[in-house]
Order: sequence, then C-alpha cells, then structure tokens
Amino acid sequence: MEATRTRGLRVPRGAPFVLPYLPFLIVFGIAPTIYALDLAFTNAGGGWVGFHNFVRAYDDFRFVPAFKHILIYTIVWLGALMVFVVGLALLLHGRATRVSATYRFLFYIPGALAGAAAVVIWLFMLDPTVSPGSFLLRHVLGASIFAQSIAPGNLPYIFAMIAFWTGAGGWIVVMYGALNTIPPDLEEAARIDGAGPFTIAFRLKLPLIRKWIAYMLILSFATGTQLFVEPEIVQHASFGLVPDTWSPNQLAYQQAFRYADFNVAAAIAVDLLLIGLLGAVLIVSRSGLFRAED
Amino acid sequence: MGVRLLGLGARMAILLVFAIFFVAPILWLVLAPTKSDHALVTSSPFSFGSFHNVGLAWRHLDAYSDHLYRRWIANTLVYSLSATAITLAISIPAGYGLALGKFPGRKLILSLTLVVMIMPAASLVLPIFLELNALHLIGSVFSVILPFSFFPFGVYLAYIYYATSIPPELLDAARVDGCGEWLTFRRVALPLAKPVVALVFFFSFVSNWNNFFLPYVVLADSNQYPITVGLSNLLASTPSFNPAVGGGGQTTNIFKPELALATLVAVIPVAIVFLFSQRALVRGTLGGSVKQ
Amino acid sequence: MKVKRWWLVPASLVALAAAVAALVGASTGGASSGKVSGSIEVWVDAVRLPVAKLYAKTHPNVKVKIVTYDGDGNGATTMQTKIQLWNRTGKGWPDVVFTEQANDPVWMGQPPFDFAMNLKGVFPASLLTGWPAPSLAQCTVNGRLVCLQDNLAQEVLYVNKKLMAQFGYQVPTTWQQWAALGTKVAKEHPGYIIGTVGDSYGHWLYLWPDQCPISQVVAPKTVRINSANAHCTRMASLLDPLIANKSVSTVTIFSPDFAKTYGGDDDKVLLMPGPTWYAKDIFGGTLKIPAGQMTAAMPLRWNNEPPVTGQVGGGPWVVSKHTKSVAAAIDFVKFATTSLAVKSKPGALSPGYPSYGPAATVWLKNLNKDPYFAAPPGAAMKAAAGLVWKGWSMVTYPDQPIWSNSVVTQLIAGKSLSSLLPALGKGLSNNAKAAGYRVVNK
Repeated sequence: MEATRTRGLRVPRGAPFVLPYLPFLIVFGIAPTIYALDLAFTNAGGGWVGFHNFVRAYDDFRFVPAFKHILIYTIVWLGALMVFVVGLALLLHGRATRVSATYRFLFYIPGALAGAAAVVIWLFMLDPTVSPGSFLLRHVLGASIFAQSIAPGNLPYIFAMIAFWTGAGGWIVVMYGALNTIPPDLEEAARIDGAGPFTIAFRLKLPLIRKWIAYMLILSFATGTQLFVEPEIVQHASFGLVPDTWSPNQLAYQQAFRYADFNVAAAIAVDLLLIGLLGAVLIVSRSGLFRAED
Repeated sequence: MGVRLLGLGARMAILLVFAIFFVAPILWLVLAPTKSDHALVTSSPFSFGSFHNVGLAWRHLDAYSDHLYRRWIANTLVYSLSATAITLAISIPAGYGLALGKFPGRKLILSLTLVVMIMPAASLVLPIFLELNALHLIGSVFSVILPFSFFPFGVYLAYIYYATSIPPELLDAARVDGCGEWLTFRRVALPLAKPVVALVFFFSFVSNWNNFFLPYVVLADSNQYPITVGLSNLLASTPSFNPAVGGGGQTTNIFKPELALATLVAVIPVAIVFLFSQRALVRGTLGGSVKQ
Repeated sequence: MKVKRWWLVPASLVALAAAVAALVGASTGGASSGKVSGSIEVWVDAVRLPVAKLYAKTHPNVKVKIVTYDGDGNGATTMQTKIQLWNRTGKGWPDVVFTEQANDPVWMGQPPFDFAMNLKGVFPASLLTGWPAPSLAQCTVNGRLVCLQDNLAQEVLYVNKKLMAQFGYQVPTTWQQWAALGTKVAKEHPGYIIGTVGDSYGHWLYLWPDQCPISQVVAPKTVRINSANAHCTRMASLLDPLIANKSVSTVTIFSPDFAKTYGGDDDKVLLMPGPTWYAKDIFGGTLKIPAGQMTAAMPLRWNNEPPVTGQVGGGPWVVSKHTKSVAAAIDFVKFATTSLAVKSKPGALSPGYPSYGPAATVWLKNLNKDPYFAAPPGAAMKAAAGLVWKGWSMVTYPDQPIWSNSVVTQLIAGKSLSSLLPALGKGLSNNAKAAGYRVVNK
C-alpha cells in the first residue's frame, strides 16, 4: 500500500481528496438507500414482512403491463443511444471545430428544457393539425389527430423519441469530450499509416472511449428502466389518455403518494434497482470500468 | 477524391437531418410567443407573428401572482449556482482521489456511488425529506441546495476522466520534484482538469436547473419554487392543460404563448452556461507533457 | 477491509446541524378575543388567488399567508404528497385548502390522510341551508361534512341560438330529440356537432345524467360499479350512431384540433351539453365563437323520466382539522363562498356559478346582462342546480383517467361506446379495489 509521509503520519494516497464527498454520499445517497431498502421489507408499522410487499406489487393489475411497456422502450432507447450518440459524436470529431461546436450546441439545446417545459413543445409536435412534423406523423404513425399519435401501440417509440430528443445532446457532448482526450498524435500516426476515416473511427477511437461508452450504457439502462418524466408529461398533456401508471416508476410513485403505500413503492423501486444493477455488473465486468490503470 | 467528397456529403446530410430533428421544435418554441393563442393553432408553425404579441405575453406572465415568475428564475439561479459550486469543490477532488489514489475502500466507494445513482430517485425523496426535517432544514433554501450538491454523476465523470487521460507518470514527476499530495493536485492535476470541470459544471448546473421532484416535495412555499415546479404550476393554471380550472383560468391570462415564453426564458440561462462551457470543452489534450 | 470512516456520519450531521441552526425559523399565530383574528395559511390555485388576497386586505385583524399551488387538478397527487409528508413530520399543515378535484375531500376526510375538519356544527348552520342538497351530499363522507363546494358545475345544454334558427331546428328537451336532431344534422349539415364525448369527463356529461351506476358508494368502502346496467347501455346505444355519423365528436374541447375544426368565426357548434363554467370562457375564450350566438337551455332528460343532470367539477374548500385558528379559517371560507364582495359578478373573483344560493341569484342577474350571450343563460343554470343526480358518489380514486385511457382512446380508434362499457367497468373496478374499496354489482 503506497502512502506518503506527512509529519510522520501514513496517509493512504488519494484518501483525503475523497473526504469532503463522503458526508454527502452518506447523507444523501447511502442512508436514504438503506431506508428505502428497509421500507421494501417492512410494513407500515415497521414490522418485518419478508417478500410480502414484492408479492403485493406483482399482484397489482398495472404491474405486468408496466414492465412490458418498459421492456420495449428500453430496447428502442438503448439502440438509438448506442448507434446515434456514438455515431454522431464520431461524425462531429473531425476537423472544423467551429462547425462542430455549433452542431453540438444545437443537439444539446433540447436537453436544457425542464420536464414541464417539454410538455408545451411536444403537445404541439405530436398534434398533426399544428405540428411542423405533421407529414411524418401522418405517414409514419398513421395519425391525423393528437389522440391517434399517442395511441397505446405507439407509446414506447414516442417516449423513446422524446427521451432521445432531450437526452442525446448531453451524451453527445460527453462522448465528444471523451474523444478529445485521445492524443492527436495517435490519429496522425494512423493517418500516415494509410488508415481511412472509418478505420480510424472504429478501430482507433471507439476502443479508446470504451469506459465512457460503458458509463453511458449503465446509466442509460438504469434511467431507461426508470422512465418517469416522459409518460408523466404526455399523460398530463393528453388529459389522461395515457395512464399515469404506464411505467413501473410511475406505478411506484402512485403507490407511494396516492395510496400512501411506501412499502409497495419501495418494493417496486428495489425491483428497478436490481434490474439496473444487473445491467451495471454485466457492463462493468465486460468493460473493465473499475480498473484504475488503463 | 470522389469517394472522399461523397463521404463528406453523406456526413453533412446526416448531421443536418439530426440538427433539424433537434432544432425544429425549439424554433417553434422561439416563434410561439410572437403569435396570439388563436394564431398558434391556425397559422403555420414557423410563421412569425409580431413583437407586440411577445410584449403582451411577457406582461401576462409577469403579472401572474405578483411577479412570481421572476422570483422563480432568481430562485433557480441561486439553487443551481450554489449547489454547483459545492459539487465542483467536492466532486473533482473525489474523482481524482478515486482514480489515482490507492486506499482501502476505493472500489467500495465507487460501487456505492454507482448503486446510489441507479436507485430510483423517487424512492429516495421520502428518506431525504425526513433527514432534512430532522435537521430542521425544511423551509430553508438549504433543503434544496444540499441535496443538489450530491452529484454522483459528476464524481464518476471526474473519475473516468482522471483514470483515462492523466498518466500517473505526470504526477510522479511532480512528486519527484518535491511536491506533496495537495500541491501535486493543485499544480498538475487541477489545471489539466479544465475539460472535466467544464463538463461537471454544466451537467451539474443543468441537472439542478431541471430538477423537479425534490423541490416539489420539500418546498412548501410557492415563493421558493424553482422554475421547474413553477412551470408545472403555471401549466396547471391554464385551461388548455387543465380543464378542472374551469372558466376562471381565462382571467389569469396564461395561455399557450405565455407558456411558450415562460419555457423559452427558462432555457436561456442554461444555454448561456453551455456556450461558456463549450470553449473550455474544446481544449484539453495533453500534447507532449510527458517525457517517455 | 472495513470502511474506516463510519464516524463521519454522525460528525457530518452534527456539523451540518450546527452550521444551519441559525436558519431555523418558526412562527405561530395566536388568536385573540373579540373580532375574528388569528393567523391562517391558505393554499389556493391561481384562479382563487384574488379571493385570498381580497380577504387579507379587508380583514387586517387576521394574518393571512397565501400559497399558490397547482390546485391538485387533472388527477395530480400534489395534496396527497404534501399531506402525507406533513402527517409524518407532525407539522406544516395549512389551515384552508382549495382544490380543483371534486373528489379530493373524500380521501382527505378518511384515514390514512385524515386531514379534513368536520364543518357540521362549526360552520354557521343558517348559511349551510344556502347550498343545494346534492352539493352538501357530495361533501359528506361517513356522516361528516368535510368540505364546502365553492362553485357548482351543473350540466346544462348550450345552444347556438343563431345557427339553430338559421337551420330551422327546434331546441331539444329530451335526449331522444337531441339524438334525432343529430341524425338530421349529419345528413343536412355534415361537419356540425351537437356534443363531444372526447373530454376526460365525457362520462360525467353523458352517463351521469342517465343515472348510470358506475360510481355509487353504497356502504363505507363499498362501491357499486355496474357498467352493464340498462341506464348505461341505453345511453351508449343512443350515442353510438351519433359518434358514427360524426355529429358527436370524439375530440376534447380543449385540444387545438377542436378549436381549429369547430371554433372560430365559422364555428360548427350547434349544441353542446356542458357545465355552467363553459359559458363565455370556453365558447368565447377557448373556441372564439363570436358574440350573439350562444345561450344555455335546460339540461336534457330521458324521455319523460324525472329530470336529472350531471356535473363537471366544482372545486371545494377544505379546512384542516389541525388548524389552531378555527374561527379565522371558518371566517375565510365563509367569505370566499358567500360574500357578495366576491360572488356578485362573473369575473376574476367569481368565474364559476356560486354554490351558495343567495349569492348565485345576484351572480346570475349579472351574468344575464352579459352581451356575449344571444339570450340570458341564467334561468337554465339556476334550474339545473338542484337536479344533479345524487347517485354518483365521489370516491378516493379519480375516474377521469380511466374514462380517458380505456374508452376515449378506443373511441378514437373507431370502436363503439357500447362495446367499451365492459372495459370501462373493469378499469373502474380494478382502480376501486386498488384503492381499498369492495366492488359490488347490485
């Protein structure tokens, strides 16, 4: 164990830098998580009930449909992220940095909109009678009025589109920043060796930003399965044509606050946590995200 | 050469299509306050109305509940900037320590950070509320600022950055020169961190700016709301989005142009932050600082 | 190796507490004898804000803190969230709350929320007689009067007098005549409508007046839901051909699509069953139908059965049982619901039909003077006030979303209302059971 000598005291290297972060991690991260885990296995009076809350959650008539919805959504969402975010970042990481900067700004701007703000926009974007994209709505979704745009079968794709619209820009910025950490000498060397743009992109740059892509996948898998804002938004904007328990996270929210059943809500949250962790473990182990030396 | 041009053309075309996808709704938003409520529905989405309508929309918005909108914007600025300042102060060093340090519990802290990030936020709000209540912070701005300051995403960004782009030899060089740990950080690691500082700064700022659920739960006074909660409050006051309001919604004068304007103004600070962070982001490669 | 720094937990908490101790502030008001005085916190939505401010201005003895919130409208869970948190910490409850959701007092008046005060015996009994019986019944939960409706939202039949005269049509008085007219309109003037079922409260407009028993509390925590009942099926059968021939729309009146298609200068609204609060604000404001066309007529009845009608909203005031200034809180509610300073004129202070009878009389007189209407709409509204069918109870779960996502979505896809009644019943049953109700059919 390496350490430095400071006035005779052996301090493990790096530890003091992490110190200010720890109280926040504990107070706003770990302690609440433990509390929520505790809620999942106890009842309203605090007594231990084992898996009873999980069974009750599963028995709710909205539980299985919600997970079905989220499965389709997550597949579409992750696919779009992987292909388009990484692809667009690579496309942008060329020469003309001013043009590139403008594009990144344009891609990012929707991400600046708060949830309720996106309501105003998407209420109109999805209404074929007033939307600038009405052509697409009519021919891709077969919708001639708003209520048809948000027909139940279209919802996973609509939400994935809205989530992509607000979220992709941020990740493109991160990926672009990641690409910037690649020393330009490497790229020059490859170019001199005769490598074309595709080769440079896929065999040089892509592997070097592996950790960042892994991070994006872990978080996006978790946030995807925890979808809340988009269906909640469209639910309000459509006066309830979309149910307020479309996604599992919405169901958990309703259980907690409408039915005052924090225990079942915590059980659903633990379900989502386990799914997210499973994804994280898989991705961390296969990409070596935690290895310090690389 | 022909293939090169074709490739360039294809690249431009793809970027352009996506740019339209991202920008068209925003363009609509920018033009919306220039039209009257009726014109928004009947005229072309990208038509320009008049500046007079914008002024009218602003006056209605400002009149809502005694300039409540202005207070919301001010609140959000205070919360976001304060929290981001704290976030930077704790997250950048933490990322550095986790990436380049070696101490027991390093992997544990990383894992716990990840687990906490994956935990659905809604389930954490109740415990956080109870903690804040125990500390008598409910009702104070710190009930928002302190939880906001906890930004594990930023810690991870810093961690990945330091783990992938700072060679340990650089730090060893400084230590050989006689620098202690703190000086090594300040003199070598920190200046090289400008890109990730910029990244963490605006992700933290935007995340705080857009955060709805925590302030919604812990703040009871509408005068303390940030703009997210305020906007949904506004939405609920207009009959087009909330028929339950009944006829009375007409007298508060909040219609679609006012909502569009409210949304637009709320986006401006974030856009400014982005623009400023952009410059620092573009820079940031090492180039010859390590002697191999 | 164990994490060595667990002692940071209490240390950091202590540090935080010490650092912010100075920020603790709490104030309690005290009530004094004599004129009403005290200190109250009032939660209102943006529309009721002028009323709260007027009270504060005209009652300097009472310290009033006003908080505007989203009104808990549209099936929101704002109040449930807040009350739960206040209950858990044992403090923070406001003294008076206005909510836009007519069914909010039902859960507010029962455990686990248990927030509403019983107004019987506290609110002046002489004033209570001014509320129509259905309104008081709606606010009664397990024998306790847990709220007072601020405004009534009884359903009437809105008539476009100008267009009706132009086409030579008679104003219908029964649902049957209305349906027959719809068939005629579809043939002679396609594109014109006599109503819409696409609102989130379509069931309140069409199933409630026909006494369809899908929300009928028959015992504490027991609700009758029977969408196969004749009262429901006969109304659905009446509506189906009209929906098919498009004389009844399936789009909500609040969508841009509706305003574009049916509103404006060449509006196509012939008839529209709707609540009192539609009046000038919806027809003139939202739909931009020019003046001199609209008026209100008596709500439709089923053949020659006794007349009943439906209701769309009508927000209540609720007083918290935790309040320490009962006199001031009651005084506030009294002011907001009965005072002529608030209720005499249709406008910012009183946009909806006052539920307090004597105030409604004055309000109607002024409404009738409004030049927007082609004929005074007041008489029909007044007559309809007492006709709201009492067999539709408020329950703890909102039923609008169920109508919207199990019926309206499918109506738009082309299905008939009759075929969707079972799904409606099932959706309501599921939600009732999830909310802890026992569901019965008879």
